[in-house]
Amino acid sequence: MSKMERFSFVALVAGIIFFLFADFVSWALPMFVLKDIPMKKVEELAAEAKAKNTSAWADFLRLAKVYYPEQFKKYYGEPNEETFAEALRVGHHWYVAEGCWNCHSQMVRPVSNETLRFGIPGVSNTVSYPSEFQNELQAPVLWGTKRIGPDLIREAAVHDIGWQAAHLYNPESTSPGTNMPGYPWFFEKDEKGNIVPNKRGIGMLVYIMWLGSWEVKPTKEWALK
Amino acid sequence: MANNQELTNLVNYGLVKAHVAMGLIFFIIVALMGFLYSLQLDGIYPFPGIEFLSPGRVRMIHTAGAAYGFLVNMFTGLLYWAVPRFTGYRVLSNALGWFMFWALQAAVLITVVAILFLGQADNVEWGETPWWIDPIIVFWLLLHLIQFGAPLFKASQRGPLYVSGWYISAMLVWTPLVVFMGNLIPRFWSAGSGAGAVQSTFIHDLVGLYVTPVAWGLMYYFVPIILKKPMWSHGLSLLGFWGLAFFYPMNGVHHFLWSPIPMFAQYSAVFATVAIEFAVTSVLINFMMTIRGSAEQLKYNIPLRYMYTGAIFYWITCFQCAFHVTLTFQKVIHFTDWVTGHAHLIMFGTFGLWVLGMAEYLWPKLFGKETMYSKGMSEGAYWLLTIGVFAMFFDLTAAGLVQGFDWIGLNPWIDSVNFSKPFWYFRSITGIMMLTGLFMYAINFYKTATAAKGLTAELKSESA
Repeated sequence: MSKMERFSFVALVAGIIFFLFADFVSWALPMFVLKDIPMKKVEELAAEAKAKNTSAWADFLRLAKVYYPEQFKKYYGEPNEETFAEALRVGHHWYVAEGCWNCHSQMVRPVSNETLRFGIPGVSNTVSYPSEFQNELQAPVLWGTKRIGPDLIREAAVHDIGWQAAHLYNPESTSPGTNMPGYPWFFEKDEKGNIVPNKRGIGMLVYIMWLGSWEVKPTKEWALK
Repeated sequence: MANNQELTNLVNYGLVKAHVAMGLIFFIIVALMGFLYSLQLDGIYPFPGIEFLSPGRVRMIHTAGAAYGFLVNMFTGLLYWAVPRFTGYRVLSNALGWFMFWALQAAVLITVVAILFLGQADNVEWGETPWWIDPIIVFWLLLHLIQFGAPLFKASQRGPLYVSGWYISAMLVWTPLVVFMGNLIPRFWSAGSGAGAVQSTFIHDLVGLYVTPVAWGLMYYFVPIILKKPMWSHGLSLLGFWGLAFFYPMNGVHHFLWSPIPMFAQYSAVFATVAIEFAVTSVLINFMMTIRGSAEQLKYNIPLRYMYTGAIFYWITCFQCAFHVTLTFQKVIHFTDWVTGHAHLIMFGTFGLWVLGMAEYLWPKLFGKETMYSKGMSEGAYWLLTIGVFAMFFDLTAAGLVQGFDWIGLNPWIDSVNFSKPFWYFRSITGIMMLTGLFMYAINFYKTATAAKGLTAELKSESA
């Protein structure tokens, strides 16, 4: 018994061995099970969005060419795969930095009618599955642990760019009764005095319109004519 | 007097004072941050549209600050008192201690600046510190390992360590591993579900492998000293420690049940979580049997009362956990305020009250006084904190059920916000109670430290 009560025994058995065993069961083994799912960089996500012409890609073009062309040109340049990837990164950075994930989850569970609630029934309402999270923007993963607002991982099909922009600037304007704070620092005034998103705002819009866009079926017929 | 001299050489009073004082200051700051955030939920946030006081950022200071500013400071201060005293050896180096003290405050300050002003945060819950500060924290924790590992190692050359020594030895090894794992693996060596499994393990391990063992270690030190009698059962102490050491690290994945993490990991987490309730109960039986026959001390010994109140809250939290960790409960309560209530009962109700009790026991001694400045303020703070946190727990648990069933019922989302509003208002009121208690406690501390004359204790009864 007295051996068990020494520093070296406790440090080795409890501190190292039990800890490693638990880590093996809790995440090393799950990672091994998931290891064949390819891990995507943001550039690959951008290429995929373009190749499959997902709603995220259509929304990105719409944002850059129709909604805020001057702002987009000023901050990002031409709308292409590179600027799409850049905007995704900027949006993701501020989604994390503003703590959006404190109140919005990014996981649809297979229980509690969540597939009916999040997304649009018949369009984008699948349960969350491992491969959709296997990318650079989910490292660390953004599942979240608390919902004050709704889940966002099927958001692409739910609202359009204009709604999202108004919602970010002043949530009350689109969702009466909400207690979400506004993010006016994502916006600026252009020459005509219109409130338009700045670099961060465009990034946020691109990022939000990307969330779940891979699940929007059939691809939204929103391609620019 | 000679006795005191010896103890002064053994314990570096300056380090204990500095860490405990900073821990208390950060406790108040993070509580204020939590209160501010609760005002946002009530729809009456006082600083709307100010970028660096955005509620989302404030909330990250609330959680990360509670971990590194409040708990690490408090526990380190208490360890500087307890470890040398029960091992009989000084910590490795006083100079290292002061370096660590300033390094910790700098790390917390940099984190606050980074999150509030620079937009640098990390989406690991309880690890919101920007990723580039995490290696520094790991390095700090390695220093912490050698600083406190030295006396523990020396003492165990001489004979078996006391229970506190097991908990603290294991914690010293676990913590740097946990922080490294939780903050760096999800960012650099995994993504998605794998990262989620690591992050959930981290959330739980920082509680289970840092906060819990260091706090129980200190409880095993302070409770017998205050009661002036040994723990009831050494066997139960062993059972409790090894039960915690084996099962606690496996609990993490229960934070993401029904997630895309493979089910075997979810099942093992549920199993380990239910198993740990038995270990917890064995520890609680040990503490309750220890106080048997001396329970009247709870009437006038406030530090002891903090410790036993916290212990009861601990058991309530763990008992609750054995149920809500099941997949059935998770359908309803996951993502709701139930979890927030649970987290506050354990972090504030148990560990918060424990460190406040331990600090209140130490504080007069550190300044050569026999009692705190004001008995009334001590009592007032205790009751405000205890009632406040329990009311908050009760309120948020109910709110969680309302939200959970409302979401299942597929009502418009805004309904769940509106239905929660009364609960959130009440939560802010309990927040005011807890903050008032903390301020009262802090004023008492300040007055005790600065009181000109030695505060002396009067003998209440013969049994004292």
